[in-house]
Amino acid sequence: MSVVALAVPRRLTTRPLTFGIEHERVAGFTLAWGEVDACAERLVAGSVALALLPSTCYAALAEDLRILPGIAVTMLATPQSPLAEEQVLDPLATTIDEWCARTGLPFVSWVWVGRPGAIDRVQAEALGRSLELGRAAGGQEAGLAYRLGGQELSGLAALVEEVRTLGGVRQRGLVRLLDCGDGPPALPRSARPGAVARSTDALLADAASGERLSPEDGLRLYHTAALLDLGRAADLRRQALHPGDVVTYIIDRNVNYTNLCVTACKFCNFYRPVARVAHGGAYAAKSRDGYTLSYAELARKLQETVDLGGVQVLLQGGVNPNLRLSYYEELFRWVKANFPLALHALSPEEVSFIAKLEGLSLAQVLERLVAAGLDSLPGGGAEILDDEIRDLISPLKCRTDTWLAVMREAHALGLRTTSTLVFGFGEEGRHVLAHLERLRALQDVTSGFTAFICWPFQAEGTRLKLHDDTTAHRYLRTFALARLYLDNIPNLQVSWPTMGPALGQIALRFGGNDFGSAMIEENVVSQAGAVFTLSAAGIERCIGAAGFAPRRRNMRYQFLSGAGSSAGLVSSAAGSAG
Amino acid sequence: MQLSQIADKIGAGIPLDFDDGVVLYRHGNLLEVAALANQVREQRHGQRTYFNRNLHINATNVCVAGCRFCSFARLREDSAGAYTLTLEQAWQKLRDRLAEGSSLTEIHIVNGLHDGLPFSYYTDLLAGLKRIHPTVHLKAFTAVEIFFFHQHFGMPVVEVLQRLREAGLDSLPGGGAEIFADRVRRKLCPDKCDADAWLDVHRTAHGMGLRSNCTMLYGHIETVEERVEHLLRLRELQTETGGFQTFIPLAFHPDGNALRKLPGPTAVEDLRTFAVARLLLHNIPHLKAYWIMLGLKTAQTAQWFGADDIDGTVQEERIYHTAGAETPQGLTSAELVHLIEQAGRVAIERDTLYHVVAAGDGDGRGPQRSYRRSMVAPSEQSEQSEQVEDA
Repeated sequence: MSVVALAVPRRLTTRPLTFGIEHERVAGFTLAWGEVDACAERLVAGSVALALLPSTCYAALAEDLRILPGIAVTMLATPQSPLAEEQVLDPLATTIDEWCARTGLPFVSWVWVGRPGAIDRVQAEALGRSLELGRAAGGQEAGLAYRLGGQELSGLAALVEEVRTLGGVRQRGLVRLLDCGDGPPALPRSARPGAVARSTDALLADAASGERLSPEDGLRLYHTAALLDLGRAADLRRQALHPGDVVTYIIDRNVNYTNLCVTACKFCNFYRPVARVAHGGAYAAKSRDGYTLSYAELARKLQETVDLGGVQVLLQGGVNPNLRLSYYEELFRWVKANFPLALHALSPEEVSFIAKLEGLSLAQVLERLVAAGLDSLPGGGAEILDDEIRDLISPLKCRTDTWLAVMREAHALGLRTTSTLVFGFGEEGRHVLAHLERLRALQDVTSGFTAFICWPFQAEGTRLKLHDDTTAHRYLRTFALARLYLDNIPNLQVSWPTMGPALGQIALRFGGNDFGSAMIEENVVSQAGAVFTLSAAGIERCIGAAGFAPRRRNMRYQFLSGAGSSAGLVSSAAGSAG
Repeated sequence: MQLSQIADKIGAGIPLDFDDGVVLYRHGNLLEVAALANQVREQRHGQRTYFNRNLHINATNVCVAGCRFCSFARLREDSAGAYTLTLEQAWQKLRDRLAEGSSLTEIHIVNGLHDGLPFSYYTDLLAGLKRIHPTVHLKAFTAVEIFFFHQHFGMPVVEVLQRLREAGLDSLPGGGAEIFADRVRRKLCPDKCDADAWLDVHRTAHGMGLRSNCTMLYGHIETVEERVEHLLRLRELQTETGGFQTFIPLAFHPDGNALRKLPGPTAVEDLRTFAVARLLLHNIPHLKAYWIMLGLKTAQTAQWFGADDIDGTVQEERIYHTAGAETPQGLTSAELVHLIEQAGRVAIERDTLYHVVAAGDGDGRGPQRSYRRSMVAPSEQSEQSEQVEDA
């Protein structure tokens, strides 16, 4: 195996990362010491494979450089030695404390940077071991953490964008990770090996303190844990992950650009079926209320969104076979050119359909969409990520593997996405746990999920006649269990559009840290019986009355200015989401 | 004051005091308070959640009182939206229900304070309902109405109650208590009888062997301290008489009344009120999550925050619906059983005095229409027979 050259500055804060290598307990690396500028030069010149750099320095480099997943130095507070701060902040005029308070995100100060393909999985794991040894040796400064998980990735993306904006670089703020094969060099946080069967109380106490639940543990809690016990454990977990009792929300608009759809899911009351027109490849709506929005209609909706302080548009449609990749590319470019809105668009089902239609790979489709302006993917269409259930309720929709593959490709391109679960399709506990396990396993690899949202199936008017439990009690239990099980997904969003503001508020005490969206428009669940509306002021009141401080955010969960005020929908938050 | 000290008091059977109540209301961790309340609830009622089959009749909305939180009342007979049912119309509501084939064990009657109706209207109303359905339990007229009859018809309270009982009255609902504090009553409901009068009507009723319920209207202009004081005054009367069966917290709904600029309480405050009430009211057996007011989701959740009752099938509720409640007008008993069982509780159909009409066996099939008294734990049975003797 060839020896990998690493460029490393001498810093107390980064010392644990190279500890194992320095002490010759991890082989296969050589260390080239030097100042930050020298390290960056060596990396750009190609004389080293990786360099350990301040993330601000990474942001300023114009090259196609990637970040090693799993490992970073994160500063939780202004460090003891002022020198350390000066180095990582340049060119930002701020302090670590101020930055964290302003954005609500961790400050990722040092990252391993390399060109695509710089190291393989084994080498990435060796770097993980080096850090493990360094942490075990102790002695590092307090207020530091060494994980690059979902929340840290959001922090890193926000930081990179800020530095690039300062430098006048109109480059997209996506942070792309090194693809080291499958495996993450993620720090092991697995379930206690060989643990004897624990009581439900002990399981909950361990999960509340951040210990990973095995699928079997999760299933036991699903079947046996009482509502309040799950809630108290999830509430403790939420406090640990989101200290300071802040609950975030976003102002965006759900625009369903078309309701024509070929997947014909039985649980859906929104779509309208299509039929192939005799001559040529076009499809037509079978019913008169099928639509695809015109640019004029879209422009009106998007301008309203901007006027109401919206920072994002969620574009989701039916799976409309008339719309080719070029339609989306043009649409995205047009949106980006005309509105200061982030594009949270196309669920995995739509992306995989476009790939099939065009004969392209998922990655090719996503790359072209990103080039056209796509910022993130919504996590819709997951329902239950288990083919046993999907076969029953949505046989024409993408399978579990495809859904996960789209998310994996999106994360690899630096896109962040959300994740969802819809229950109440007659599934069993094992299906729910399989779903959560699949999300958690992918998140271990990519850290790309920003949030998880779940809600019960809304049956009214759909073709699926089910009598499954979709009550508040089950929602709260499922939600709390998800907070405990998904130890690597930072944010849990309550689903007030389906559950109502009351349950949304209550769910904040069952693990939720985000109130979702002050939605200006929603068309799907409202067609199936869920008819709740809330303004930003209404959301802030719900959050405040539950004992939390409301803050506005963007899709990365970065705090936005104008948040926390009760100014209603009209404010000046637009534009800061880029 | 720590929650653990309060827990110790509860464990030792020491009634909580005013300061404890304020601490519970203000405690930062809602679920810790709920866990205590749930413990008390499960000690007392196990997994049981009660409901009944009932019908609401609001015979008139004409009311001389101008309570600012009310969207239901109309000042005069000729005001827009004012109505007064003829006796025949009121009776017909019961006949309609029976004709549909639905059975019911209780009629809940609450009305405006109408100054143009004779006392015989009320006695005839009750007597007529009993003629149509002799075994039905008539839970009728809040203490505010009883006190109004006393003033308006110049009869002592005891005589009002006596004559209504002769006509068929079985128990009193708990409405009209609002908040006992004078400060609040002067501002919100100056025309209504004061706290002492309200409590005195119930004292008198209890003394005659009538059972009653009690309520608190919260989430408007009252303070936490005034809520705690209210609960403690109810508890004090209960210590004296033992006549209250159920406490029902009533959330203020702001639509369509003079207080519409107030936001009304949110769900977290609703659940907190249940938990605190369960802990403070150690001597009132039941705590009802009135689903009409809370919505089904919160009412279901409340079964883990101290409540052990979810009210009944109702049919045709007017008071909360004119204040913006978006809940259905009624539910079938199967829907209620479903809701209770999905909350992990055992559904028990009760009558007004908490005798078991039908009990679910917790296997998800709900109560059978049989009188399976054996399903009830011995302690519960003895408690009920005591209740009957008291009554």
